[in-house]
Amino acid sequence: MSDNRKSKLSDIVFIILLALSFALIIARSTPFVSLVKNFVFYVSYPNVSAANQIFQYAGSFAENIKSIVYISQENLSYKQKNQELTDKLRNYDAVIEQYDNLAKLLNVPKIKDTQSVFARISTREPNEWYQWFIINKGEADSLSKELPVVMLRNNGELCAVGRIIETRQGSAKVGLITNSLSAVPVEIKGKKINCLAEGLNSNMLKITYIPLNANIEAGDEVIVSPFSSVFNAGMPIGVIKSVLKDRSLDFKTAIAEVYFDSVSLYEAIVLVPKESIK
Amino acid sequence: MRRTTYYFLFYAFFCLLQFFFGKYINIGGVFPNFILIAIIYLGFTRGRLGAQTMGFIFGLTWDSFSTDIFGVRALMFTIIGYFAGMFNRQFDKDQIIAQLMAVLCAEIFYWFGFSMICFILPEGSGSYTPFVFTLSGSLKILVTVLVTPLVFLGLNFASKSVRRYL
Repeated sequence: MSDNRKSKLSDIVFIILLALSFALIIARSTPFVSLVKNFVFYVSYPNVSAANQIFQYAGSFAENIKSIVYISQENLSYKQKNQELTDKLRNYDAVIEQYDNLAKLLNVPKIKDTQSVFARISTREPNEWYQWFIINKGEADSLSKELPVVMLRNNGELCAVGRIIETRQGSAKVGLITNSLSAVPVEIKGKKINCLAEGLNSNMLKITYIPLNANIEAGDEVIVSPFSSVFNAGMPIGVIKSVLKDRSLDFKTAIAEVYFDSVSLYEAIVLVPKESIK
Repeated sequence: MRRTTYYFLFYAFFCLLQFFFGKYINIGGVFPNFILIAIIYLGFTRGRLGAQTMGFIFGLTWDSFSTDIFGVRALMFTIIGYFAGMFNRQFDKDQIIAQLMAVLCAEIFYWFGFSMICFILPEGSGSYTPFVFTLSGSLKILVTVLVTPLVFLGLNFASKSVRRYL
């Protein structure tokens, strides 16, 4: 090998070694480099401290690998979910178009397009726990009277909570559906039985005006009726717990438990019509 | 093959000397930096390629045994090996003054470079304090420089003997 070629080779090796050294300095605190370093140290000077460090770094290295695998799996499932939602959105757009055409042809009022305004519950009176609360959003956030207030359940569905009864600039008072002054037109899901849900100042609702011949039993789901002027039809409200034996002349009465968990209710969603958003 | 065996023996001998015997034959914690002398020797006798490669390997080994910034010795010894190799055939390796000057410059460069990296990348309390002159540190440099002619002499003798057998 000529001197010139040898010199060039030396320069190339020098640059590679420098790059390697810098890479080691930069990556010195990464679990993998620390693991290798501690392992070499342990092989040379076996001691408990070095062994502990090896296991510690090996543990975190394995944890990182595990996290990468999990994230990759999660990413895959999210991609699938995303694809499903994209398909649904495409169908939704087609349905909306058809709905607009039909609404125009039949001259019927269209369902209001709403936007969710998230609000935190700022005040609750312990003695009136099931009657009202105050949220930290108000007129400044386009909130107005009679707007529906809902809550996100664990299964991702929205359930009815109450309606706005008073508004201020930066806050609003929400009357709950469990308030004894509240009455919401409801129906029993899948049975087309229209009735009324009245508040009892507890987590229970009194379902009244159930026709005597209606086949209703514990476990039936109570949803908002299309007669409601506040909530969207079909929104879940609660579940029938018992059907009362003492019947009035024409109607049966039942007791239903509301879906929203009043104890852990810290945040509520107000459904504001898009046209009224400032 | 001969060259690989030579480098392997060289590596094993200096690792033993620095890391194993260093614990027993130091005086008040002062022990010469034999590895630095070895890299200078390789640079003078074998050129850049051998000196920088062995410098990197020696540095990496030392880094593995220390709690200082990992990779810093590999970097410093690689650079020292490269520059020592540049003086291959330009200095008379048997000339004591040349040996002393080369090792002294390498020691100062090593201390400065090491301190600079530790200054830029501080490792927290208990780690190496950069740019601080200590008595033991200065003595270490002095002892390293003073033992250099002996090490060179020994290595020249060993090289001749090894060449005869390999």
